[in-house]
Amino acid sequence: MDKIKQNPLVKKVGFNRVVLCGVLILMYIFFSILVPAITGSGFAGMSHIMGALNYAYFLGFLSLGVTFVIATGGIDFSIGPVMFCCGLISGYCLMTYNMPLPLCLLISILIGTLFGLWNGYLVAYWTVPPFIVSMASMNMAKGIASVFTKTQSVSWPRSTDANGWFRNLVKAGGIPTGLLCFLGAAVICAIILNNTKFGRYIICLGSNKEAVRLSGVDTKKWEMCAYLMCGILVGIATIFFVGTYTTVQPGYGDTYNNEAIAGCVMGGTSMAGGLASISGTVIGVLIISLLQEGILALKLTKDIQLIITGIIVIVAVYADVMARRRKN
Amino acid sequence: MGEIILQMKEIDKSFPGVHALDHVNLEVKRGEVHALMGENGAGKSTLMKVLTGIYKKDEGTIIYRGKEVEFRNTREAQDNGVVIVHQELNMVGDLTVAQNIFIGREPRKGFRIDDKKMIEDSKALFDRLHIDIDPTEKMSELTVGKQQMCEIAKAISHNAELIIFDEPSAALTEKEIEDLFTIIRDLRSQDLGIIYISHRMDEIKVITDRVTVMRDGGYVGTLITEECTKEDIINMMVGRVIYEKPKEKSLVPADAPVVLKVEHLNAGKMVQDVSFELRKGEILGFSGLMGAGRTETARAIFGADPKQSGDIYVNGEKVEINSPQDAVNHGIGYLSEDRRRFGIVVGKSITENSTMAALSDYMSGLFINKGKEKQVSEKYIKELDTKTPSTDQLVVNLSGGNQQKVVIAKWLVRNSDILIFDEPTRGIDVGAKNEIYKLMNRLAAEGKSIIMISSEMTEILRMSDRIIVMCEGRKTGEINIEEATQELIMDKATRQMEA
Repeated sequence: MDKIKQNPLVKKVGFNRVVLCGVLILMYIFFSILVPAITGSGFAGMSHIMGALNYAYFLGFLSLGVTFVIATGGIDFSIGPVMFCCGLISGYCLMTYNMPLPLCLLISILIGTLFGLWNGYLVAYWTVPPFIVSMASMNMAKGIASVFTKTQSVSWPRSTDANGWFRNLVKAGGIPTGLLCFLGAAVICAIILNNTKFGRYIICLGSNKEAVRLSGVDTKKWEMCAYLMCGILVGIATIFFVGTYTTVQPGYGDTYNNEAIAGCVMGGTSMAGGLASISGTVIGVLIISLLQEGILALKLTKDIQLIITGIIVIVAVYADVMARRRKN
Repeated sequence: MGEIILQMKEIDKSFPGVHALDHVNLEVKRGEVHALMGENGAGKSTLMKVLTGIYKKDEGTIIYRGKEVEFRNTREAQDNGVVIVHQELNMVGDLTVAQNIFIGREPRKGFRIDDKKMIEDSKALFDRLHIDIDPTEKMSELTVGKQQMCEIAKAISHNAELIIFDEPSAALTEKEIEDLFTIIRDLRSQDLGIIYISHRMDEIKVITDRVTVMRDGGYVGTLITEECTKEDIINMMVGRVIYEKPKEKSLVPADAPVVLKVEHLNAGKMVQDVSFELRKGEILGFSGLMGAGRTETARAIFGADPKQSGDIYVNGEKVEINSPQDAVNHGIGYLSEDRRRFGIVVGKSITENSTMAALSDYMSGLFINKGKEKQVSEKYIKELDTKTPSTDQLVVNLSGGNQQKVVIAKWLVRNSDILIFDEPTRGIDVGAKNEIYKLMNRLAAEGKSIIMISSEMTEILRMSDRIIVMCEGRKTGEINIEEATQELIMDKATRQMEA
């Protein structure tokens, strides 16, 4: 253990993240052996890596967003459905009302922002438990989207279509631009979390809200801002979702909640608040994405993945709880 | 005094960074009231927690009723007749007295709780203790003193043979203390062993047979109460530590300006029509019993809790304080009695805690200037002599005294001129205590104005320039240090002002 601590890389990024990177690599090797053995087709090729990355972009933005909320000790179960709500309404504006594309993308971000503001206001100022608020928002997001689109699914333009240029954000030529966007966003989020007043306050209030309040900090405002930040990132996630998967159906999106939260807590952000790691979230998201691609490649159904992410959330949170108990 | 019921030999216990108990001995006989004395942080509570199974001892033996024991939890200790009457009352206010006494072990009739038996058993208990409480009354309707009696009744109902009283008198009036002593004498005559933890020297002389003194987690000695003087005990408790000299007279110049004036402050039941003035460079002591409303007054002034009415003037100007933010902006800092809950963010570093109240001054544009932050943190570590390996140390790893210094640093970084110290030395070991005293005296000499709330009489008399006494939410006295005596303060703290 002492040897590991002395390793400069480990010291820099933390033991947890090194282990996660190891898990990521092992998982890749695991699928590379298992997929050909069972299905006869290869896994090591670029197509599966791209598949996993495609999944990582939108999930990554969701996960980054929810990292801010979990850092405050809160939770947001509405991110997936809100993303669908954004995609449906802005897509409907684009395809049915023929609004200009940039405006529609802005509408998407705006809807995410409004949901974030709403959740944050209720949690911070009305002190409604985050669990209840986000559960209610989840259903409201589904309902609003269905009403707006008259329960129709919406298909966004393909890359060859007139309005398809926005897909360059996800992939331009053969270059995974989405990865650049995601990593760029992660760097910005890390700076916000570690080097701004907002980041400092939300992490501290996640650890001990009353002590921060009694230091003369407007804890309500900053707590609301964490949800707001999450909402903005959910709005952006939408663009990468529709840029990858084209069609959005009303009434869905909840499965992404668990995956985004799993990515976040696996990366070392504590469900109890007060501890958050953006780099951890990034690796966590990559693990979840690879897992989903691997399971698809094994020709298993999505249901298997639901079970596994469920287990991951439990194990990650349990590990966090145990670590805390040891400390005390 | 009869046979020995409890023997704790060479008990040793360490926590990370703290040697909490250093080979401590304690011996209690049947039919004896045995005082366990020591300053805050001396290790009395830790020793009792080891006895009742809350902590596991590292070394040593516990012999109870002639057999070596190690209780795994309080339940097991209770089943063996070792019970503790806590300082903080552990009662559920909405349940009746009887329900509280038998909580978790209600008598049953088939599947149903046998309320009738529960009430009868409670009555029998109260008869045994000669106290007059109706078992069907709601707990929240009783006075603190009566609640304490119920706590004792509950303890005895476990067929107790060894009862530990942990500062039972802290919240009681003089009359209630007398009742308590009657009960304790009664229990003694029934051949029970009694451990009595208290700070009040007078009580020790009145009620106890022997005294065991602890200091800094170590065992100092055991005396027979009758054969020793108060001074003997105090010397044993304090030991090598030389405290700041008590003030003979106020050190505040006569013409010092009033920096804080509070007029007719009302905030809930605990703060009723409180008015006072605080002058520049003054240490204003707030004395009173537990639950006298001192903390509530401080929190209302600081905007931590809402107030109903009253005016606050800072430097002669009337100010509106509706939140801690407002208070901080007017230069008021509050150091809570409960540091871990209200004072610091334990999971964060010294630096992050130090700049918590003044982060705006440590920004370069949108970003926190971590270099500048570290500098100021280092400056106050040096100035307050905080013992830590680095500025990045998490506050959770510091001792109580050093944590308190981090909280003080927080307000000094913010440049607050009015500091409210609520129980500044609670949970701080003896050596660090005097450092805090010195620091407070220095701050006052530098022109900071301090309100000091304290339940320790010696602390009040040692530190204050002037003393305000509260009782049941009202200010009942204001005493200059020249005239202040323990008796005068106690007198005002236990009875309402007649006007």
